[in-house]
Amino acid sequence: MLHAFSYVAPRSLDELLAFLSSHGDDTRVFSGGTDLFVNIRSGLVSPQYVADLKTVPGLREISFTGQEGLSIGACATVNELLAHETVCERYPVLRIAGEELATLQLRNRATVVGNIVTASPCGDMTSPLLCLGTDVVLVSARGERRIPLGEFITGVKTTQIAADEIVSRLIVSTDRIDASGGYRKLKRIKGHDLGVVAVALVRAANTMLVAISSAAPTPVLLPEFDARTPVAEIQKSAQAAISPIDDVRCTSEYRRFMVDVYIRRLMEEVPA
Amino acid sequence: MIRITVTINGERYEREVAEHRTLLHFLRNDLGLTGTKEGCGAGECGACTIIMDGRAVNSCLVLAAEADGAELETIEGAAAGGELSAIQQAFHDNHAVQCGFCTPGMVMSATDLLRRNPNPSREEIIDGIEGNFCRCTGYQQIIEAIEAAARAAGAAAGKGSDHA
Repeated sequence: MLHAFSYVAPRSLDELLAFLSSHGDDTRVFSGGTDLFVNIRSGLVSPQYVADLKTVPGLREISFTGQEGLSIGACATVNELLAHETVCERYPVLRIAGEELATLQLRNRATVVGNIVTASPCGDMTSPLLCLGTDVVLVSARGERRIPLGEFITGVKTTQIAADEIVSRLIVSTDRIDASGGYRKLKRIKGHDLGVVAVALVRAANTMLVAISSAAPTPVLLPEFDARTPVAEIQKSAQAAISPIDDVRCTSEYRRFMVDVYIRRLMEEVPA
Repeated sequence: MIRITVTINGERYEREVAEHRTLLHFLRNDLGLTGTKEGCGAGECGACTIIMDGRAVNSCLVLAAEADGAELETIEGAAAGGELSAIQQAFHDNHAVQCGFCTPGMVMSATDLLRRNPNPSREEIIDGIEGNFCRCTGYQQIIEAIEAAARAAGAAAGKGSDHA
């Protein structure tokens, strides 16, 4: 059972933003609801209003232009991203990581933007998007702002989003377009578990990007490496950047160990 | 309360529903369509799987209000005219049912899978039911049932040849 709340189905972006201007503090905005309704059910959050982004036209689009890059609208589901030809061909790391996210039923509802806004330390889309270079576009009745993904997420489940704002879309840069990539996620059961630890690697022409999930309060992007950097150096950089904890899923020590294993494996298996 | 109109297994329903009502509870408690099961209620187990506008979803994590205007398929629609569907028959023939609680969700996921991919490999079947828990059978009979249903559909299509 969910507590009694009001369902808001805005017919336009202006209508939604006007509503959030006055009721933002009492409202949770959602699209897939795969996190929100779990959190409401467990009593973690108890908003007075839930506002459905899906009834706002124009927020579902995934589009690509050579100038701007890849734009992923707030309501685009993970499975819609996986079915997108440009994504599969030109941003392969997004496809590989997206396939690791939850289950088919959840991917049919869960959105890429929701995975970012939830700001979980183990978000599957965050690490690959950090490697590719991604900006978050926020809109409110006050206007629009665009901030880098690494700055948008500020801690465990916290972001820079204000109560009257929504994330309208993500913009993935063209900097690492056509770069090969890989994503390795440790979990106990396919689909039914949060990641224990995960590593994303993107190899562009002369550079290499590595990001790590579930090993610090937020996913961590390592500084850009030269393509010929030895494995040991990247592992050393990773160990200095992460701060894993002991928890119900595994120990800090095991997380550190598996980060090194995955960095080595990804460097072996992702073509230069 | 909010007024919604949904089409379920081809039949149109118009109802007043509480705004915080999940689609699962709307189906089960308001409409009496109790074939769809509630397991975890949190999107983990897949017992509540239905097909909404052509996509398999966990109905425990959808609001009834969101389904306004939607086309839903539930397990009650599988046995058209009282005849088991090919997938239901295959589950029966292959002993893919033990306690039966996961079965409606499994059948809906299998239905969705075979529509997208009429001739899936064993690996693809395992991926297709990744969102559905079974705590009795160990999955083997369920996988075999879906393989059998795919073969039966292939044979019924008049091909008779094995594409696998």
